[in-house]
Amino acid sequence: MRLTTLEGMQSEIFVPVTPPPVFTELKKPLSECKVAFITAGGIHKKSQTPFNTSGDFSYRTIEFDTPSSELMVTHGGFDNSDINKDVNAMFPIDRLHELVEEGFIGSLSNETYTFMGGGGNVEKFKNETGPEIARKLKEQGVDIVLCTGGCGTCHRSATIVTRCCEAEGMSCVVIAALPPIARRQGAPRITAPHVPIGSNAGEPNNKPMQTAIIKESLEWVRDCPSYNQMKVLPYEYRHNV
Amino acid sequence: MSITQETLKMHLKDPAIFCCRREKGLVISAADLEDPSLFDDMVDAGLLTLSDEGLTIEQVLGATLLCDVEALTPITRSVLDKVNEIEKESPKKESAVTAPTEKAIKTVTGGNGMLHIEIGHAEKLEGLSIDVPLFSGTPALDAAPAVEDEKKTTGDKKVIRTLKKQHIKIKDVEIGTETSIKDGKITIDGSIVEKAILEDELCKSMKLDVIHPNERHQYTETIMDVCPIATKVEGELGSGITKVADGVVFMLTGVDEDGVQVHEFGSSEGYLDEKMYFGHPGCADENDIIIRCHVVIQRLSGMTRPGPFSAHKCQDYVIQAVRNELKKYDGEIVREEICEDVRRPGNPRVVLVKEIMGQGAMHDNVICPTEPCGILGGQKNVDCGNVPIILTPNQVRDGSIHALTCIGPATKEMTRHYIREPLVEGLAADSEMDLVGVVFVGSPQVNDEKLWVSERLGSLLESLDIDGCIITTEGFGNNHIDFIQHIGQAGKRGIPVVGVSFCAYQGQLVVGNEYATAMVEENMDKGGFENNVAGCSCVTKEVAARAIQMLKNKMAGVEIAPAPKKWNNDVINANNKLLCLPETVLLDNGTLH
Repeated sequence: MRLTTLEGMQSEIFVPVTPPPVFTELKKPLSECKVAFITAGGIHKKSQTPFNTSGDFSYRTIEFDTPSSELMVTHGGFDNSDINKDVNAMFPIDRLHELVEEGFIGSLSNETYTFMGGGGNVEKFKNETGPEIARKLKEQGVDIVLCTGGCGTCHRSATIVTRCCEAEGMSCVVIAALPPIARRQGAPRITAPHVPIGSNAGEPNNKPMQTAIIKESLEWVRDCPSYNQMKVLPYEYRHNV
Repeated sequence: MSITQETLKMHLKDPAIFCCRREKGLVISAADLEDPSLFDDMVDAGLLTLSDEGLTIEQVLGATLLCDVEALTPITRSVLDKVNEIEKESPKKESAVTAPTEKAIKTVTGGNGMLHIEIGHAEKLEGLSIDVPLFSGTPALDAAPAVEDEKKTTGDKKVIRTLKKQHIKIKDVEIGTETSIKDGKITIDGSIVEKAILEDELCKSMKLDVIHPNERHQYTETIMDVCPIATKVEGELGSGITKVADGVVFMLTGVDEDGVQVHEFGSSEGYLDEKMYFGHPGCADENDIIIRCHVVIQRLSGMTRPGPFSAHKCQDYVIQAVRNELKKYDGEIVREEICEDVRRPGNPRVVLVKEIMGQGAMHDNVICPTEPCGILGGQKNVDCGNVPIILTPNQVRDGSIHALTCIGPATKEMTRHYIREPLVEGLAADSEMDLVGVVFVGSPQVNDEKLWVSERLGSLLESLDIDGCIITTEGFGNNHIDFIQHIGQAGKRGIPVVGVSFCAYQGQLVVGNEYATAMVEENMDKGGFENNVAGCSCVTKEVAARAIQMLKNKMAGVEIAPAPKKWNNDVINANNKLLCLPETVLLDNGTLH
């Protein structure tokens, strides 16, 4: 075998390393915690400017008393049909209100922030959008931040923003449809239901599944022993595209 | 934390940084330096700022400090009494190296009835040589030196099948009243659109027009696909004779009933001359006449599977009418392209793995239709469970893939890309290798399925008994999970592997593993972004040449230096220069950085 070789070539693509740990231990019972839910999945109010689907580091403010019927998705990274059916599949706002009523969690923040993480500009999310969302949540006295990823690069953006929140002293979990990305990008805690991107918080209109995913993610915020640990959740949904 | 002599040896060319404060008069040794493998984290954490003026470890060893220097500060020329001048290596030389066919451990059965074991390079056993009796009492053995047989195979070319592509010159196109090809001119019956949209109820209307090369500065809706006109006149896909219309392509554009662009991750509507990278494999060429087929599909169906598919299907009805005319047309053959499925036994066995999108809603492809680049008769990779499917190089070159393309415009591989894929062409033509086949593997939507599919690919690679592979992916983001997983499947089986993708800035890898060490970048955007210019950042001839060379290096054990920590187009151009390829000039499209 004779091969023409060439000395001096260099690999052209860098393989990422997991960033340094960030971890805030939860010190209160869940029933006393103020919870916020952020998402990189492109959810916004119908009255707001849609996201730019090829990359957008801006965010939208959503009051938690916004009816779910006034929310929609603008995202190019996955099949939108599940969210069109039920926005709770990405941003489970109705389930969160039910958990407050049930007493499972203490309260919700007045408002939360959503973004479209697909193709997200890493530096912008890390240095501008992330810290700003974290600061605004912290100012509302939030203890726990839950976050859904969305698409592939969304999981990266979601993880960056979640790390900012964790660094501000809140305990966070990324509910990941693509757990390898959340792990590699250094999410503080990860839960991984078996769901497709586009229905990261569970099957549309499947209340029991959505509730279980949020509850067990909250419990993982409480129980996760250390940074970057993942819990696989036993819920499976196949989106028949 | 200081470093050991062994760590030192691995990092001679890395920056020299003091681990703790060091005082004037110190003679620098390993014990004074910080471990370079920690620099990434330190830079991220803001503990360390590397400087261009900083010296490397090999430059500072043994030098004496002229003043006190703080911990985690780059060591520069100004603080030392001397700097070790390291001879610049001359990496420019191209050398034909015979790859080591001699294995480290060699066993030969000789005539003396002894089994001779010689271990060439093992740390503690260097030079060890043992003779063990092979059969006690039977010294004269019919020692057939079977091991020697492999030397006889020399990579002689064995042609399995031939495909003849006849390129027929087309000089003009017009929309008229009857579909025909006469004297190099295609006429398409304008009323055909009425029948075409009956092919799928989600397709609400269709419009055809012709864009000549001098009419490019005009508005276009998002470019869904570029599709050649090619048709079988003899044999099946991959063999026989195919006629290809030269100088003309179809371009599919689409919106839904509400005017929403049928696009995915980023959209390419705008002025055509600014929104397509003319001349790239998936695109129209500079002098091509473009037949634009614009469709309107049912509202809200754009981001589902059936909606965009209806557009492709209805366009194919129109293309088929032209194909039927092309079959009959006896025009001037400007070029006859002979494609051969060849095997070169004895050469290193390689496969090309092409990861294609399989998440549905424009993340899908039609595989092996009846007509080149067609729709009918094909199967969608999503419906096939995205499992790896192996095609011959000729099948690929005969239009086996109709791309229902999606992702970003710049990073998607359109239908035309596959019929003239530079890696397929490059590997098939390379007389030093034996291209076993081209594997298409879909990228599913669910993480578990990604891993499942990747494991199937791993088993396939193992059973093909290959010596090396190149793995490419279109797009970026979630599909990089599969991409890295595929590289791992090859890597953990000891198969040399080269990865090819758009990553740059926006698409930088979200996951990684230790096998992703020979990687080729497709980006051609100045900011390193998906810039919405159709076909901009895809496999080009230059990308293919770099990937093939890296694979040869890897198979022959010639080092490929690790990638720098951040995307840097200079690295790509340094590789281009080594291979005497033109510079990769980045398109300035105003993308943020």
